[in-house]
Amino acid sequence: MTTADTVLSRPRVRVLATGGLTAVRRHPLIVVLAAMVLVFQLSTGSFLAPANLSGIATDAATLAIVAVPLALLVISGYLDLSVGSTLALGGLVAGRLASEGQPPVVAVLGALAAGGAVGAVNGVLCCRLGLSPFIVTLGMLTAVRGLAQQLFPLPLSGFGSGFAWLGGAKIAGIAAPVAIAVLVLAAGALFLAFTPSGRHVFAIGVNREAAHLSGINIRRMPFALFVVTGAAAALAGAIKASVLDSVVAGTSGAGFELAVLTAVLIGGVALTGGSGSILGVLLGVLFLGGLQNGLTLLNVPTFWQQMTQGVALVAGAALAYLAPRTGR
Amino acid sequence: MNTPPSSPRPTASRRRFLTLSAGALATTALTATGCSAPEKTSASGRASATVGKDLTKIGLDYPFTQLPLYSTLVKLSKAAAKKHGISLLTTSDNAGADTQATNLKTWVTQQVPAIVSFPMVFEAAEPIARQALDAGLIWVTYGGSLESQSADIKFSFREGGTLLGTAAARWAEEQLGGKGKIAFLTDSTIELGRERTKGMIDAFTKAAPGIDVVAQEQAIDPDTGLSRTKALLAKHPDLNLVLGITDAAAYGAFKALQQAGRSTDDAKTFVGGQDGSAPSLLAVKQGTFYRASAALAPNDIAAAIVDVPRAVAAGKADPSAEVPITLVQRGDTAEIDRLLAQNA
Repeated sequence: MTTADTVLSRPRVRVLATGGLTAVRRHPLIVVLAAMVLVFQLSTGSFLAPANLSGIATDAATLAIVAVPLALLVISGYLDLSVGSTLALGGLVAGRLASEGQPPVVAVLGALAAGGAVGAVNGVLCCRLGLSPFIVTLGMLTAVRGLAQQLFPLPLSGFGSGFAWLGGAKIAGIAAPVAIAVLVLAAGALFLAFTPSGRHVFAIGVNREAAHLSGINIRRMPFALFVVTGAAAALAGAIKASVLDSVVAGTSGAGFELAVLTAVLIGGVALTGGSGSILGVLLGVLFLGGLQNGLTLLNVPTFWQQMTQGVALVAGAALAYLAPRTGR
Repeated sequence: MNTPPSSPRPTASRRRFLTLSAGALATTALTATGCSAPEKTSASGRASATVGKDLTKIGLDYPFTQLPLYSTLVKLSKAAAKKHGISLLTTSDNAGADTQATNLKTWVTQQVPAIVSFPMVFEAAEPIARQALDAGLIWVTYGGSLESQSADIKFSFREGGTLLGTAAARWAEEQLGGKGKIAFLTDSTIELGRERTKGMIDAFTKAAPGIDVVAQEQAIDPDTGLSRTKALLAKHPDLNLVLGITDAAAYGAFKALQQAGRSTDDAKTFVGGQDGSAPSLLAVKQGTFYRASAALAPNDIAAAIVDVPRAVAAGKADPSAEVPITLVQRGDTAEIDRLLAQNA
């Protein structure tokens, strides 16, 4: 290495180190995640095995697909608690279409339409009529579950090899759900970082009145995010239906809304709106997926697993809450 | 990545969220911890004012409305009731113990002449059953027994687990020479789950002591069954058997094993579950390594839901019923078709 190279490389190292420290300060979950991976690998010996990492990624993919649009919605000051039931409806619609011999693309489009419709209802009620998103989406959580059970009272199964592609195919060696999740994560990050609409999401979440006075349409963007969140939940449902080759109206996606909201919140997205990042959401999703998997590998008894998960989630949320303060 | 400085904002949303979370946690805790049937209580078979009269209405209170069995039971019970000119009422408890109590009290107040209830919390149902009997109504307990009741419809939940565990152990002895690895997908949150789990594990470990039990994981739905089995396969890629507390969980394990590369009819793999759900029955029928299901026949349950209250009303001496559980395996095509037709 020449003297000139050495001189040039020093600032680069410093910039990288500073950038890394800033990222850790903003997302202390990185440290927790790294420690968790280390502990699980040392204690099980198989946590970092490629097959296991692939399993974690596939399981976490559906969570990530919904967590990204939901995070944008929460950043804009809204909330969608109906995603668990929308996921079930999407899986059922896709499964029914697939079992009737429709091409997989039609099945997925059907699911997206169903999920988008649920999101549109949420959007109209919350953004146009100004009703509380908490109450509206909680109501929709129950209503959509009831609708799904009424329309599909019996389990659906046997969707055929074409539809199995969605959950089982490999794209360049990566499982299709993981590839879809990566696309969604990248789209979410680029949208927030490089588009005016992405900045509007923050502006609406920080102060709706100020955003309105700045000329931002404070209804259109959250409405679109509700529709996209509904469609994403339905897509996740179609993927789950494909992976399992079956779907049950009453139990599919039950509790999913809390899991995805947990991932978003421990990822550092403020429930009050106005702050958050896609990197944080990714960390939250990986943390939840890795924790569950590691506890299973360790063969931890059920109730200890529940306690450990609860404590870890509270700790993760506390770190995420404290992060912006330490970052200032 | 993109975090503009946050500004002070009202905290109403957060408060609302916390309030809901607390409510949800309380409900979950009640559901999870409260679903315990007393081990054995004696049926009192108290006289009812409805005895000797023709029944016109039966109230069916089945709390687990999220299960596919609910829709099937309601449909078949309504058909069975209609044959006798009886109308069937139903509750919508949504697996909530408090909602169930409210609905049952409403029926007692409305003097529904016969109530068939599957109590989520047997201790909580006891005073309501007593009120029903005091009001001259018929009370039939489903899935257990109360001190105050006219009769009961019993299932041997443990027997279902025992049948499955025994069949799996026999297969392991014959096909694996008594050596291999097994994982159990269990449930310890409600009495039904605990009984099935105990029957399944006790029967298997007694009959196949050489098989290594590598895990007992809580899983009752296909999603959890899938993810838990995937994780187990990372540590034990040579896992031979997975037995599920429900067919749903076992079906998730079945898909995980398939996705890990096992051929659908792998000779060294055994998956089995309990309930007799349609996807699992189809997999057994098709000759896959999903080899057994301890199945309940919905027609038998539906018939008991109508016949037991009628027997009480008719003043029969022993009106209670016990619904049998059948183990179906590859080759039991006629029985599988019969069960599938009932689930259609």
